[in-house]
Amino acid sequence: MNYLTEERKNALASEYVLGTLHGRARIRFQRLLMQHRSLRHVLWQWESRLNSLGGGLAAVPPRPELWEKIQQQLGFNTAELPANVVRLPQASATPHKEQPANNSWKWLTGAATAAALVLAIFLAMPQSPSERLSTQIAVVQGEKAQALWSIELGKNELVVTATVNFKALPDQDYELWMIAADGRPPVSLGLLPKQGKLILQRNAILDQVKIAALAVSQEPLGGSPNGQPTKVLYTTEIVTI
Amino acid sequence: MNSNQDALRLLSATAQGDRLAFEELYKHTAGKLYAISLQMLRRRELAEDAVQEAFVRIWHNAGEYQQEKGSVLTWMTTIVRYRALDMLRATKSRRESDEDVEEAEDENSPEKELYTERDRVLIDRCMSLLEGQQREMIQLAYFRGFTHAEVCEHTGSPLGSVKTWIRRGLERLKRCVEA
Repeated sequence: MNYLTEERKNALASEYVLGTLHGRARIRFQRLLMQHRSLRHVLWQWESRLNSLGGGLAAVPPRPELWEKIQQQLGFNTAELPANVVRLPQASATPHKEQPANNSWKWLTGAATAAALVLAIFLAMPQSPSERLSTQIAVVQGEKAQALWSIELGKNELVVTATVNFKALPDQDYELWMIAADGRPPVSLGLLPKQGKLILQRNAILDQVKIAALAVSQEPLGGSPNGQPTKVLYTTEIVTI
Repeated sequence: MNSNQDALRLLSATAQGDRLAFEELYKHTAGKLYAISLQMLRRRELAEDAVQEAFVRIWHNAGEYQQEKGSVLTWMTTIVRYRALDMLRATKSRRESDEDVEEAEDENSPEKELYTERDRVLIDRCMSLLEGQQREMIQLAYFRGFTHAEVCEHTGSPLGSVKTWIRRGLERLKRCVEA
């Protein structure tokens, strides 16, 4: 902490806010922020100072869809989905005349409906085709095929959302794993949110091996103590849409 | 909503889970935040993604606002800028085109009032007191999210000088704001 004179604190905080603090220096600064309250105050002062500069720009109205997307992401209007969102699961729910009558197929239909609903929500978000040629998603389902988490695998990050169906046990964390097809030990992708949405850094390994499945394990708080899943609860596959 | 007090009322209601207040806050601030994000990311989709992420964070973290972090809109700007900077860092091939920046702009932006007038006038005045080149470098970093190396490329000044100019410029800004 010695090297953090007032002058040094200000130099680091100001460049952090400006965006010119890079690489290891930036990561080190973020760690110092967690440790030192006084540094946080210096940072806030800089945020307050520099970010008033934004006032100089004239407002540009975003497209109206943006508010819809925010609401969807926050799960505000799941009960009252707009017409274009409802249409898709209805269409995919009856693709063929012959619905399987056998009870053993019921779970599968349920799963398909749940997946279709989630797909519909993602499809309803307008995306430019050049921006995201293919989107990968996965839905983690519980015993009754209820969707517990949705996972959108982006280029650089995984956007994971816990649904209202998911009820966390107290004092437990839930960890996401990649199961590779080549039989190597599962690779942790990070802890899952217990509610709402969380963005996880995309582990580079996802692009380097063939993925057999994703798995969710139940772990003590803070995640797996030994780097391997403690109790695997669910598995799911990644779907490319 | 035309003052920081109004914004504070909406933010505090948002922290209590009031969706209508959150929507109202969005209506009054989204244009400003989108303008900032668009300047940095230069592409409509990316800029909207950053604003979307920012509002999701604002919804979840509304209770963490403190006056010490600036006016409500300044705090929201902080969140959008950090998100946009993260996205710039993540995007290897940045800003291939500038096609989307020419947006219709509303000159009579009512949101201007939301940055407390005093803060905004002060920072603008202090910026204007910097030497031309120093001001330009800080503006490039602030509004465009440029790295030192990019500022160096853009201005033709050596990297070492860019770093020094920006650092000294920020020191001068601090002295000026606090004077």
